[in-house]
Amino acid sequence: MKNITLKVNGEIYELGVAPNETLLDVLRERLDLTGTKKGCDTGACGACTVIMDNVPVLGCMILAVKCHNHEITTVEGLAPHGDLHPLQQAAIEHNAIQCGYCTPGWLLSAKVLLDENPHPSQEEVRTAIAGNLCRCTGYKKIEEAILAVANPEPVY
Amino acid sequence: MKLSEFEYMTPQSLGEACQVAASEGQAAQIIAGGTDLLQALKYGLKNPRLLIDISSLPDLARISYSKQRGLTIGSLVTLRHLAAHQAVRDNYPLLAQAALSMGSTQLQAMGTIGGNLCQDTCCIYYNLPPMSRQGLDPCFKLGGKKCHAVKGSKICWATYCGDVAPALLALKAELTIADQNGVKVMPLNSLFSGRGESPHNLQAGQLLKEVHLPPPGDARGVYLKLRLRKSIDYPLLGVAVNLLSNPGKGTLQEVALALTAVEKSPLLLATPPEIAETGDLAAQVAILADAATKIAHPIANTSGYSPRYRREMVKVYVTQAIGQAMALVS
Repeated sequence: MKNITLKVNGEIYELGVAPNETLLDVLRERLDLTGTKKGCDTGACGACTVIMDNVPVLGCMILAVKCHNHEITTVEGLAPHGDLHPLQQAAIEHNAIQCGYCTPGWLLSAKVLLDENPHPSQEEVRTAIAGNLCRCTGYKKIEEAILAVANPEPVY
Repeated sequence: MKLSEFEYMTPQSLGEACQVAASEGQAAQIIAGGTDLLQALKYGLKNPRLLIDISSLPDLARISYSKQRGLTIGSLVTLRHLAAHQAVRDNYPLLAQAALSMGSTQLQAMGTIGGNLCQDTCCIYYNLPPMSRQGLDPCFKLGGKKCHAVKGSKICWATYCGDVAPALLALKAELTIADQNGVKVMPLNSLFSGRGESPHNLQAGQLLKEVHLPPPGDARGVYLKLRLRKSIDYPLLGVAVNLLSNPGKGTLQEVALALTAVEKSPLLLATPPEIAETGDLAAQVAILADAATKIAHPIANTSGYSPRYRREMVKVYVTQAIGQAMALVS
């Protein structure tokens, strides 16, 4: 057992974790933060995307012990007091959510993009979410939602 | 997927990491970003007793550049950081292009250049979860006695699928390898064994410390990656070209060409000597395309395009890559 400190969505958690637990399993099973989803569990779908130290990472591919003293943001951290983040609001307005399984992942990929590049081009948006697979929407509405937050008028 | 149990330690220095790795031998695995290793752990392909986490070692995550000495990249630099670094973008855009072609944004943010170079080879008959492997006799890569990808083969044909290696080979990269006794420098090509079951020549206790590129001069390069989707996929063929043109003549003065995903290691093409005597760019390109096709041996051990299509694409990509690079040097 290793004792680790995780700072998740601004809160400090002190946990004992086994070295073979992934960050994804710790978030979902130990911290009850089930917003982050387990899709492929092998690093290929992006459903488990969280933000660690301001970059998007795959929770299923990181051992929890490696996250000791790191800052993590999950989808729950986008609306800490219940007010939806602009990306979440845009997702609703642009019908960018069907089953919703990929949504937490791309919301966080998009947040990192907009934090670094507030006015991305369509191509930059596509590259940013290229690691988040969606089986439902065909990506167009997701793109529109992100571009709506980034630019007043979508750039095509 | 439940990972098997292992111990975990974080060495405080590179020296300690080398020492522990040397004494543990095959019982330990080095972990940095972990994007390659965790795939193997999840599928039960590797079962280390101990993981040695080097990701917090100081001084291994720096990039430094000077016009006189070139670029030095610590092995822990992530591909995201590498591709975003101004000195890399300005002076080695081929390297940034290759790094950005890997995987996805998330994998680039997690994966290190050292880990990417040291990635294991891939094969659809090897990279399977335990249940799917139940029906197969263990192959060479699993310590067994056959190859499922090439029936009757006496050797393992697992394919090296890294994107960054061909770019670095074309840029004439050298590696600094550290072990308990100190450091040594060697050309990148020496890292690769050419053996599918154990693709690297590093002994237990040897760690990749730095990658070094000479000053770029006027050479320019391009990396083209054949893939089904625009993200996530490994290359089905990768061609990296770095070249200098003859001023005013529109022909190749110097060219370095490397391939990936078509053999058990990345391949640095030995430039055919006729190139220097050929006064026509199209003829030079044809010679290179032919030579590159001859050394490419894609195997039906991937999902995606057929080996025949991938082999046909070698000359297409060589031609395109040289064309694009020539436009950059003019």
